[in-house]
Amino acid sequence: MRRTIARGVAVAVLVVVAAFTYPGAFVVSIVVRLTPAVMSPASGSPGGLVWLHVAHVSGMTPFIADEDGQRVLLHGAIPAGLIDFWSGTDYSVTNPPPYYPMDPAAYDGKCPANSSVIATPPLCQDDIRRMAALGFNSVRLPMSWSLLEPERGKFSELYLDRVAQVVRWAHDEGMYVILDMHQNAYSRYVGRADPAPLGGQKISLRYYTGAPAWATITDGLPSIWYSNTRELNPAAFEATTNFWYNRDGIQDEYIATVAHVMQRFKDDGTVAGISVYNEPQPGWDLSPGFEDLLLFPFYRRMIDAITGLHDGLPCPTGVFMPAPCGYPDLGVHDTRHLVFLDSGWLREVTDFPTHLGLPITSYPNVVLGIHAYTHVFTIEHFIDQKTPPDKASYPWGGYDQTYYWGEREARAIGAALFVTEFGNDPGLDSIELASQLREQELHLTGFAFWTWMENCGTPPYGVFEGIDCNTTGPQPSSGCIRQERAAMLASVYPEASSDPNLTYSYDAASGFFTMRASGRAGDHATFIVVPANVTGSITAGGAVAGEPSVTQIGEGRLITVVPAGGVFTVNVAAAPLAPFAC
Amino acid sequence: MLRFVRDRGATPALVLGALSLPFGLLAPFAIWSGSRSLRRIRSSGGQVTGAWSAGLGLAAGITGLAFGIGGIVFWLFLS
Repeated sequence: MRRTIARGVAVAVLVVVAAFTYPGAFVVSIVVRLTPAVMSPASGSPGGLVWLHVAHVSGMTPFIADEDGQRVLLHGAIPAGLIDFWSGTDYSVTNPPPYYPMDPAAYDGKCPANSSVIATPPLCQDDIRRMAALGFNSVRLPMSWSLLEPERGKFSELYLDRVAQVVRWAHDEGMYVILDMHQNAYSRYVGRADPAPLGGQKISLRYYTGAPAWATITDGLPSIWYSNTRELNPAAFEATTNFWYNRDGIQDEYIATVAHVMQRFKDDGTVAGISVYNEPQPGWDLSPGFEDLLLFPFYRRMIDAITGLHDGLPCPTGVFMPAPCGYPDLGVHDTRHLVFLDSGWLREVTDFPTHLGLPITSYPNVVLGIHAYTHVFTIEHFIDQKTPPDKASYPWGGYDQTYYWGEREARAIGAALFVTEFGNDPGLDSIELASQLREQELHLTGFAFWTWMENCGTPPYGVFEGIDCNTTGPQPSSGCIRQERAAMLASVYPEASSDPNLTYSYDAASGFFTMRASGRAGDHATFIVVPANVTGSITAGGAVAGEPSVTQIGEGRLITVVPAGGVFTVNVAAAPLAPFAC
Repeated sequence: MLRFVRDRGATPALVLGALSLPFGLLAPFAIWSGSRSLRRIRSSGGQVTGAWSAGLGLAAGITGLAFGIGGIVFWLFLS
């Protein structure tokens, strides 16, 4: 009798383990793959931008499209002024209050003073205007959970008002906003061990951000770092792991926060979508289990919560939720926005898929976000920082590697591909930035550039020069614009086209642009953004109906070409580039 | 008097089998361990026990391997 019970228990345990891990996750994946997608009518809100969605065309990587089904490329930057970064000059103070005012009134027609005591300047309306002047049609707007839900269960409507203010500014410039639940090394509330034990080093909290203090469970592990790397911090590892295992229900709170944000912007087409977790770290977990059994199932739960879909199994909340679990409908029913899913941090430092991602949801508007930091944060650079990027031995596939695999990963998941972050040392723009932009052209991938402005750093990564970091007094938001960097980012690009397979290239040195596409008579027009600094003449050839129309948009131009049935080309002639105002 | 001895590989096979479900790389080891254990038990003429554990470990290992290979094939198909 005892033996029979023991055998029964052993079988039951194995069945439960199988259901909660790969076999269960695999079965759910097949089910969601076979579940018909719920498509929402994407009728635009009055006066708003057209809604975007992810188009699924047989034989192609899904892509971001507008209401007419045209492929849309989003170009933009990431201003970090709404991030709850640590601030101060005394590193022993680990929990300073938010630095910049949260009240939108503080930004109405004015801009608070900047200071070197915080990593980034405030985000003001002039920033959005300047982005539009560079030809950007989108902005990835990072937000902090610590400001959205400073007290457990209590959301800050004031902070959401501030987010809404930026969305309004973007709308006025005709730019989309990608909301971004930003975090770096989990939270600025991980603490700081002084002296540093265990052979580690004392940390600077300057670039830590994310979770509020009440959701940062470090279990007393020391907050130190190794190899001067922000992420290699035992306290951050522990707090992150506790998040993935939903210790004390903190993951439930996070999902509720995102749902609250989307409730606010549910009917706003200016918001293209939301990046639900920036740069996810595995904590103590290892790939591929981290991504397959923790991260991507978490993404499914998030999508279930905000869309009302029921793709996962019904499971109790408030405790660890295994991979096959879904999430209750939180009543938002937002089925129009894009949901950006960042790949795991280990994938970002290897430029290689660290798991075989399978479909996780039947929701069609999913975008896989990669952070393309080849030779910047990839593993070979971490090991050997002396070898220049053009001599590096890894990635074996060069700059193309992350895009090649990114497309395959996106197809497997059923998602579009987007570069949710990339950036580099400005001194290496001619190699690193140029290579990334070229790959984005080849793979027809939109981008969000990290970062718009940064105060200090070695050197600051912004589109603009940093500020004087030897003083803590009031300062302007930035130094002058980096002319060469801006000229590369302010590129000519096809913003929307009926041909999802078009090809194009832009040479930032000469201003020369060429595009080749095809279209049937009656197809919607192709729109090409020409920023103000590009002065060359515009010509079109092949099967186009009439001459291309050129509209002045601000100081830039917008080319409209109507296909007449067949292949057509559009060129912008090489011509001296106009300098940007400082 | 007959003494029944539990095969030394039976329990490790069961543990490896259980672990191969979340950690698919362990599946071949579970299969190898479980099948060797079962072979020893069968050839012992009934003096060595643990067939249930070894068999369960083997089954779990095969399940882990099957889902691992199935997952890779599915990924290649989709991507």
